[in-house]
Amino acid sequence: MSGTTPGVGSGVARAVAPPATLPAELRGTDRDAVRLLVTDPHRHRHLCFRDLPQVLAPGDLLVVNDSATLPASVPAEGPVGRFRVSLSTRYGPLLWVAEPRRSHAEPGPLPLAAGAIATVGHRHRVRVRFVAPHPGLPRLWFVAAEAPLEPVMTADGEPIRYAYLERPQPLEAYQSIFARVPGSAEMPSAARPFTHATLAALRARGVGVSALTLHTGVSSLELEPRQAERTGLYAEPFEVGTATAERIDATQRAGGRVIAVGTTVVRALETAFERGRVRPMRGFTRRFVRPGAVRGAVDGLLTGFHEPRSTHLALLTALAGESLVRDAYQQARARPYLWHEFGDVHLWLPAREPEAAQ
Amino acid sequence: MTATARVRPRALVTGASRGLGLALAGLLSELGYDLVLTARGATALERAAAGLRGDGAVHALAGDVTDAGHRARLSERVGEHLDLLVHNASSLGPSPLPALADVDLAAVRSVLETNVVAPLALTQALLPALERAGGTVVAVSSDAAHGGYPGWGVYGASKAALELMARTLAAELEGVCVVRVDPGDMATVMHQQAFPGQDINDRPAPEATLPFWAWLLAQRSEDLDGRRFEAQADAWTLTVETGAA
Repeated sequence: MSGTTPGVGSGVARAVAPPATLPAELRGTDRDAVRLLVTDPHRHRHLCFRDLPQVLAPGDLLVVNDSATLPASVPAEGPVGRFRVSLSTRYGPLLWVAEPRRSHAEPGPLPLAAGAIATVGHRHRVRVRFVAPHPGLPRLWFVAAEAPLEPVMTADGEPIRYAYLERPQPLEAYQSIFARVPGSAEMPSAARPFTHATLAALRARGVGVSALTLHTGVSSLELEPRQAERTGLYAEPFEVGTATAERIDATQRAGGRVIAVGTTVVRALETAFERGRVRPMRGFTRRFVRPGAVRGAVDGLLTGFHEPRSTHLALLTALAGESLVRDAYQQARARPYLWHEFGDVHLWLPAREPEAAQ
Repeated sequence: MTATARVRPRALVTGASRGLGLALAGLLSELGYDLVLTARGATALERAAAGLRGDGAVHALAGDVTDAGHRARLSERVGEHLDLLVHNASSLGPSPLPALADVDLAAVRSVLETNVVAPLALTQALLPALERAGGTVVAVSSDAAHGGYPGWGVYGASKAALELMARTLAAELEGVCVVRVDPGDMATVMHQQAFPGQDINDRPAPEATLPFWAWLLAQRSEDLDGRRFEAQADAWTLTVETGAA
């Protein structure tokens, strides 16, 4: 563990990696056939995701996010004409934080004022009111609805997508095998390569799988680390159940390693880690996992290759240290690995070998 | 167009003419609450009430919460049901903040009257309306309640007393939820009084706490009762009792 985030950021921000423009299954292969970069303090290994069970050890525990992706982008019409609204986080039955956008590809900004009224949906229409901008993130608004917005999403919503995709994908492409609780504006994508075959192989290897829930907000927003240190990240709903908390505790006490599948899982577990262990807990978290602010809830991380956003890099640096992060990004760029939600994945393992294994 | 008929929830916010009270009143107004607002300064309170854009009713009653007559007027204005009572009005005491060794005892009594006795008296007066609505009482506190910070002794002691009263009320009252909230440092008139002559604009505006209030208002009251929250903390959490993940 060393260094500060900006040093790493300046090194890898220049990295240009090809995005995956289609899901693996539309690139002529299977979800679990994406590539896997495995990084530990001694080396980088270039493998296939199907090798995951052999890289892990009996007694290790994968913790996955079972949040399902919403068709969160809905059409809207209001004082600024036709636009789209990305529903980011549900605060209550009639209150959301949302991002108004000109279109999927164009963020805007749209000249909306507090008190503005709009209608969302075509087939199922609901009046909404732009209540107040989100503090620190003025492109996001608190939006009060006259009726629940879930039926609008069902009738007229589409998954949020960005310009690098070759063509729109159905909602199913944005669900992992673990998706159970609808609520994410964008897919928790690290678990996307998992298949029934993966799960069978993990079970045979003696690697456990437990779930928690964290509903992601829109990913198009980014906080500067300095602001994030002051205000925390954008708040997201999460829940760590009793069974998962107990399994994590038992795993660590037996010497196994707790591997987070996705940075969402790291944030949830670091939030729920109190007095030496993960506690059952639910609420909203905006915890910024960064160097010097790590509680030790996880031993490793499986994550995608993403734009080197500063808060993402801070999390990686907090877990793996600055020089290893720099090395790994060089490796990823040289191959290159495919980036973004339909791309390849990267497993970060700690120095220590599992004590319970073999 | 889809619309569902809703009975408007009703809230009373003290200290609503500026700072945190005004920011919270603005959110509640936008969320469709009927509001009863109070503060000492009539002009500022009228201006605050006029700036609210929600569709609910707004009743602005200027006055001092330490005045029993004013509390009776507030209670009358609230009527039969009260869903939310926010004890936000506070007195900081003398500025600059005095050491306890030197503090004027009349100032101590005055702070306790505003920050401890008045919220209890207002809660008593509104208890039937709160009970009928299954309402929630929010005691706005401060980290000074636990701090022992030099200069903050009077204010901190008053907030410690307010917090213990709130915890006790939570234990005593059936069907009324009582929570404590530490909003954290904010760039407000009161915070400026605590640091006269200093630039406090590195502190966030009261609006920084809006996500927390939006979260709090959406929780089930039985999950909140007796709890203390920090509005600017990096998580707002509740204990999970069951095994659901």
